[in-house]
Amino acid sequence: MNKFKSVLASAAALALLLGTAACGSGSTGSSGGTVTLKIQTFNNPGYGAPTSERPGADLWSKYEAANPGVKVEETAAASSDDARAAFNTAISTGSNAYDVYVVEVDWMPSLMAMPDKFVDLSSYISSDNDWVSWKTENATVNGKLIGAGTDIGPEAVCYRGDLLEKAGYDADPEAVAKWLGGDSATWDSFFAAGREYTAKTGLPWYDSMASNWQSMINQVEESFVSKDGEVIATTNTKIKEMYDQLTSTKDLSAHLSQWSDDWNAAFKADDGFATIQCPPWLINNMKGNTGEDFSGWRIADVFPGGGGNWGGSYLVVPESSPNKEAAAKLAAWLTASAQQVAVFTTANNYPSSVSAQSSSEVSGKTDSYLGGAKVGEIFANRAQAYDIVPYKGSQYFDIETKLTDALNRVDVTQEQTAEQSWNQWLEDVKALS
Amino acid sequence: MTVVQSRAATDNWRTRLGRFEWKASPYLYVAPFFLLFAVVGLFPLLYTMYIATRQYNTLTGDSGVAICGATCGAGGADASIWANFQWVLHQHSFWIALRNSFSIFLLSTVPQMILALFLAWVLNANLKARTFWRMGVLLPYVVAPSAAGIIFSQIFSDKMGVINVALSAIGLQPIMWHASAFWSHVAIATIVNFRWTGYNSLILLAAMQAIPDDVMEAAVVDGAGKWRTFWSVTLPMLRPTLIFVIITSTIGGLQIFDEPQMFHNGTSGYGGPNGQYLTLSLYLWDMGFNKVTIGQPNLGRAAAVAWLLFLIIVAIAVLNFFLTQWLAAGSHAKTDRARLAEYRDRQRREYESAKRAGLDARQRAARERSRMDAAAAPQAGAQAGARAEGRAS
Repeated sequence: MNKFKSVLASAAALALLLGTAACGSGSTGSSGGTVTLKIQTFNNPGYGAPTSERPGADLWSKYEAANPGVKVEETAAASSDDARAAFNTAISTGSNAYDVYVVEVDWMPSLMAMPDKFVDLSSYISSDNDWVSWKTENATVNGKLIGAGTDIGPEAVCYRGDLLEKAGYDADPEAVAKWLGGDSATWDSFFAAGREYTAKTGLPWYDSMASNWQSMINQVEESFVSKDGEVIATTNTKIKEMYDQLTSTKDLSAHLSQWSDDWNAAFKADDGFATIQCPPWLINNMKGNTGEDFSGWRIADVFPGGGGNWGGSYLVVPESSPNKEAAAKLAAWLTASAQQVAVFTTANNYPSSVSAQSSSEVSGKTDSYLGGAKVGEIFANRAQAYDIVPYKGSQYFDIETKLTDALNRVDVTQEQTAEQSWNQWLEDVKALS
Repeated sequence: MTVVQSRAATDNWRTRLGRFEWKASPYLYVAPFFLLFAVVGLFPLLYTMYIATRQYNTLTGDSGVAICGATCGAGGADASIWANFQWVLHQHSFWIALRNSFSIFLLSTVPQMILALFLAWVLNANLKARTFWRMGVLLPYVVAPSAAGIIFSQIFSDKMGVINVALSAIGLQPIMWHASAFWSHVAIATIVNFRWTGYNSLILLAAMQAIPDDVMEAAVVDGAGKWRTFWSVTLPMLRPTLIFVIITSTIGGLQIFDEPQMFHNGTSGYGGPNGQYLTLSLYLWDMGFNKVTIGQPNLGRAAAVAWLLFLIIVAIAVLNFFLTQWLAAGSHAKTDRARLAEYRDRQRREYESAKRAGLDARQRAARERSRMDAAAAPQAGAQAGARAEGRAS
């Protein structure tokens, strides 16, 4: 009989092993009346408890206090790419890894193509979620709202006051704004100022072609894909014009690859670049790269070619979440005006909510790092100047990545002429199909 | 009666169970591993093959048998299970990635093996503070690949990196680590070698210590020098370990991912703006998990790349196996063959002489017998003697 038992035992052990293997990915849901909401973020959305590296408005504890029985767990991905890979895997497999995701504006085109996978948030939001119209528009498919707008990235021009002064220019923000073209600043006037500066000092004017391109392309309504879904990247004369205009300013570039260690280090170098296109969230990165006590950077209330927008995110709730109702409520609350104000005043993510933008706490914010500049007022002006809603078809991301590569071949590695690089890009776009 | 019957039945049942246990338990003991392997190894492998034949998008899933698209020209719209493979083989980036993977693999594996062998040989000598040196060699392996990648990507930065700053300080041209394909491969290979040389030398060291002393002593008595002992005794006896180490580093080398990704030092556009250090696994990952554009069968194509990579690794591993056998044969293969022929020749001669010796002995015995028989029956004996005589001549 003992032998029989041992066989039985080994069979049971086997079954147990299989069982644990099968439900290894089981998720925590509601247990004992408390709901745990898991949210995936990247960079710093400014929601968590503040630390010295990550300023935050401590919204989780606020929400947990106001909603007993709800616990929020934030997981911050190392980079937006990691976040995107994890998000894609979770959505494609339908696993409920997280209840809420922070989604970058660049990912939205692919999300808009599969609205069924996300919860319609329109019944959860209230008048407090008064985002600027283009922000809402970019997350709405057939009347269904799949994303709650968090921040936006209106761009101003940041510049190195210390370097301009050393070169003999008036480094006062208003004087610089005027020098760059004032209210009617164009890319031509911006590059003209750069030519003057570079000729005088021999120092680079901007960091990389890629970052300028990012701003330029966001001012074009139909760039790579037409509104009826056709790929027009290689036939759009506007693209080629901008490409030629930008690559002709090669001498003004610091030839750095964005986000590289060299790029980070150049923010406070004596021979670093003099200007950078500057959305509010970038100020966090600048502080990280130079240290809070560096006092060279200033900000001018001006932007070439009208307004610009770089970045900004949404919160989305996947249909597969077991707590989607609670998650949608959290997303609506986080993106409401009062929370957006709290985030901007502690971290630097500029609100997409109109009432938050006009609140005195936001518009009155100054930043001592930028010489006490009235950043609240400047970004409000910059947000107003931005009135184009660029259409980004689903192939936008792939084509844009290839174009950034093309610019980097001319600018960073300098292995090709502008014309060679353009031709290779044409081939790349063809190979994408 | 019934009691006896039922006991017989249970006995029967028991013996059958016992026999079953006796036969099945070895399989049950190894089953957990194979079940786990089937779930996390075999199934993904086969499923990847299935996906490779489909128009599979990471986000939206399967939408039919694969088609190649405009890249393949006229036949691009035809559905075929090979279409994803066709598409991949039409991509310039794929061939660039293949070139880079091989180049980085060679630049890392070859110096790494030579260095690891040398280090193991040195560590095998009678050193003072032996454990200290051995641990020291293994230390880089403890560093996480990403951490090593981050540190080295700063060292290899084009402008602010230590190496280029030092080069400029002594008046030399800085090296464009990210712009030149060759130098980027050297940089990445350095990161790989940093981590893996110590690990491999410890494995080789363990194998070296397992070589029996009497063999080495015999070599020394025969008058072999240090180099000769190493080449003719140590190396051949390391053969199984060498095969293991080389095959694992082949797999690792061709799948290289963390290092070029960290070396890239930025977001998007992985592998450099001109694919300078785009490796196959980086290409695969970027296509499968970053370029998830809806409407593109990106995961199907990435799966095709994965299978191509798998086949390439198998081919290289087989090639390595033969190369290693040749290398560790102890001496040149040609001499070996000649010597083998000589051995065979000598063996044949010995066999022949032995055979003849046996034959002679039998004939002698037969003659003896026939002489005795002849005494008993002269006629028959004479006949037999004549027959034996005839055979001998």
